[in-house]
Amino acid sequence: MKRLNLPKEKSFIGPALLWKRIAAFFIDIAIINLIVLFPFRSLFQNIIPKDYSFSEAYKLLSSSTDYTGFISSVSFIMSVLVVLYFFMLERKMGQTIGKMIMKVYVVSDNNSLKPWQMLVRNIIFIPMFPFVLLWIIDPLFMFFTKTNQRLTEILSRTRVVEKYSFEQ
Amino acid sequence: MEKIPQQNFRWGYAIFVLLLLSILGFMAVGIISLFIGVDVESLSGNVALIPIEGVIVGTRDSGFLFDSVTASPDTVELIEKADKNPGIKAIILEINSPGGSAVASEEIANAVRKTNKTTVAWIREVGASGAYWIASSADYAVANRASITGSIGVIASYLEFPGLLERYNVTYQRLVSGKYKDIGSPFKEMTAEEKALFQQNLDLIRDFFVSEVAKNRNLNKKDVDKIANGLFYLGMQAKEIGLVDEIGGKEEVVAYIEKKEGIKAELVEYKKEKGLFDILSEVMGKQSFFVGKGIGSSLFDKKPSASISITT
Repeated sequence: MKRLNLPKEKSFIGPALLWKRIAAFFIDIAIINLIVLFPFRSLFQNIIPKDYSFSEAYKLLSSSTDYTGFISSVSFIMSVLVVLYFFMLERKMGQTIGKMIMKVYVVSDNNSLKPWQMLVRNIIFIPMFPFVLLWIIDPLFMFFTKTNQRLTEILSRTRVVEKYSFEQ
Repeated sequence: MEKIPQQNFRWGYAIFVLLLLSILGFMAVGIISLFIGVDVESLSGNVALIPIEGVIVGTRDSGFLFDSVTASPDTVELIEKADKNPGIKAIILEINSPGGSAVASEEIANAVRKTNKTTVAWIREVGASGAYWIASSADYAVANRASITGSIGVIASYLEFPGLLERYNVTYQRLVSGKYKDIGSPFKEMTAEEKALFQQNLDLIRDFFVSEVAKNRNLNKKDVDKIANGLFYLGMQAKEIGLVDEIGGKEEVVAYIEKKEGIKAELVEYKKEKGLFDILSEVMGKQSFFVGKGIGSSLFDKKPSASISITT
């Protein structure tokens, strides 16, 4: 009896596992914190003494409009850099460093990833109203959708996937 | 079935992105420090050093760019900022001022008295008149041996030149609604009645000044009244009559704070920093205002000619 010439390995892509997505996110945040936001760390250390509690730091920063204006400006610039990190890497390679380590990818429902899709899926990092509302709503969607998509991923028509393969 | 992404991860590009964003971060920090008037380097430390330099004035835009003036709104803001900062345990007022506006001096003195922190006045070269008023409101006053202090009194002298106008056939056309509306005008001679009224008000301010100094320094008002003749005292004389607590300088001030608060003092200067935008807008604002008036005259003629200022 003649056997069919089937490929030895079969593979397909599907929604990335949640734990892999979360791990990839924390790896990216760690890298961003270490390298991209490094200059800002010294800036904040100069403003808030190391031995300050959260309430003491809050009291200090809200003591003057100078501080609040300063903190708002710095936070905005930091968030732009974070968006740029995700934008530049995902647009060019479909992966950030965290996603590469966890072997997950960003794909578009259309053919290729467009700039607007990158912006929409990462708008959550801008610390301004109404985007701050997404900080809770956006990740919650991941747990309640079949495709494990965040709200901004649904809006941007993108998904995070991984490659599943098995031998026949 | 969906297509497996074909892009290969390129470490070279990832490193380029990280480096680029890091450089952008450094540039952003530099630009923020330059453009926003917050001196981020000076926000650590446990003792705030607030300078009181030059003439004490009541408005922020009184000095021309680099003139040394102390604007009471700025100084009050700095005192309140230091007071609210839980890391600051004491406030030093570094005084080098001949005084200035009575209102501005009182505003600063009130702010000093209201703080919950230990306050020390450090009189360097001059701490006279309104500046001494501020110094007296601190918990402790230290002055250099040869510094000029005291000068408790009020002055409102001005030039009067109706004779000069007459010589050049210029007439002062008096149009007032209200008998004393042009009191203090340099274009007319002050009447005896006006002079008496003016003197009465100056005496009232002086009396208030004396009361405040007596209250602040815990002295008998009559004793302060005797020395409140406008005369200045050297630091060593001021110590003898009780206007200051100690003769000395920075070391003595720091030693007092360290002993009182039980801390190792780390001084941090609280100064109103001007951002680039502030300086540019100030220059542009002044230039616009002076167009037509003559930029040259604007630099020297700072006060409206027909106004009297009461200074301490």
